[in-house]
Amino acid sequence: MANTETALKDAMTSIEGVIGVALVDYTSGMALGTIGGGKDLDLNVAAAGNTDVVRAKVRTMEMLGLKDEIEDILITLGTQYHLIRLLSGRGKSGLFLYLALDKNRANLAMARHQLRSIEADLEV
Amino acid sequence: MAHEGEVRDELARLRARTADVTAVVAASVDGLVLAADPPVEDAEGIAALTAAALGVGLRLADTTGRGAFRELLVHGESGYVATYAAGIGCVLTVLAGPRVNVGRLHMEARRAGARVAELLDGAAVRLEDS
Repeated sequence: MANTETALKDAMTSIEGVIGVALVDYTSGMALGTIGGGKDLDLNVAAAGNTDVVRAKVRTMEMLGLKDEIEDILITLGTQYHLIRLLSGRGKSGLFLYLALDKNRANLAMARHQLRSIEADLEV
Repeated sequence: MAHEGEVRDELARLRARTADVTAVVAASVDGLVLAADPPVEDAEGIAALTAAALGVGLRLADTTGRGAFRELLVHGESGYVATYAAGIGCVLTVLAGPRVNVGRLHMEARRAGARVAELLDGAAVRLEDS
């Protein structure tokens, strides 16, 4: 079991091509923890903005009458991948992991796989 | 006041950009209303209470060595009230519902505070110059 800080560090070091990682509470839009990012990618801004993305998708699914859950959301930019993975389980609902990847260096399938195991290991 | 309209525009912009924000009041630190959007009835009361809360907040930040005032957030069972610094003598008090994106609120309100500060303090500086 890993705490927030360890899980974020783990994601930052073990996943190839990571630019930044954040653990975000989408009931408030605030980040519980961030690592990486730097001046080119303000992860607190990303946390607030992507909270709107997640909420919009949840609302859309409600309106469509889809009784299902979001596993992850992939956003493909020209030079980056942004991956949002919603957490589930005790004490983890209402949270998502946000991952920004460099498109040239990242392996998307591997990144998703690793993110899944980081989620399983995470204890908030 | 020359900039009242511009300040109100800024408040309206903040409200439009952040979902679930119901009202924004720009108040002087001594508790007088400078502008409100929408023109809420109890703006005077909100401004007066903001000044009182600000007094305690400033002293608390000061005695615990946290420096100058930036913001104050109250989370009630059915929503949020937040106050943000906006230059030398002014603050913005924002009323929001329980589902507001607090991260976005911080982002947008800090930006609005800085712009209101520019409008008001810029005007004060120009008055001193002339």
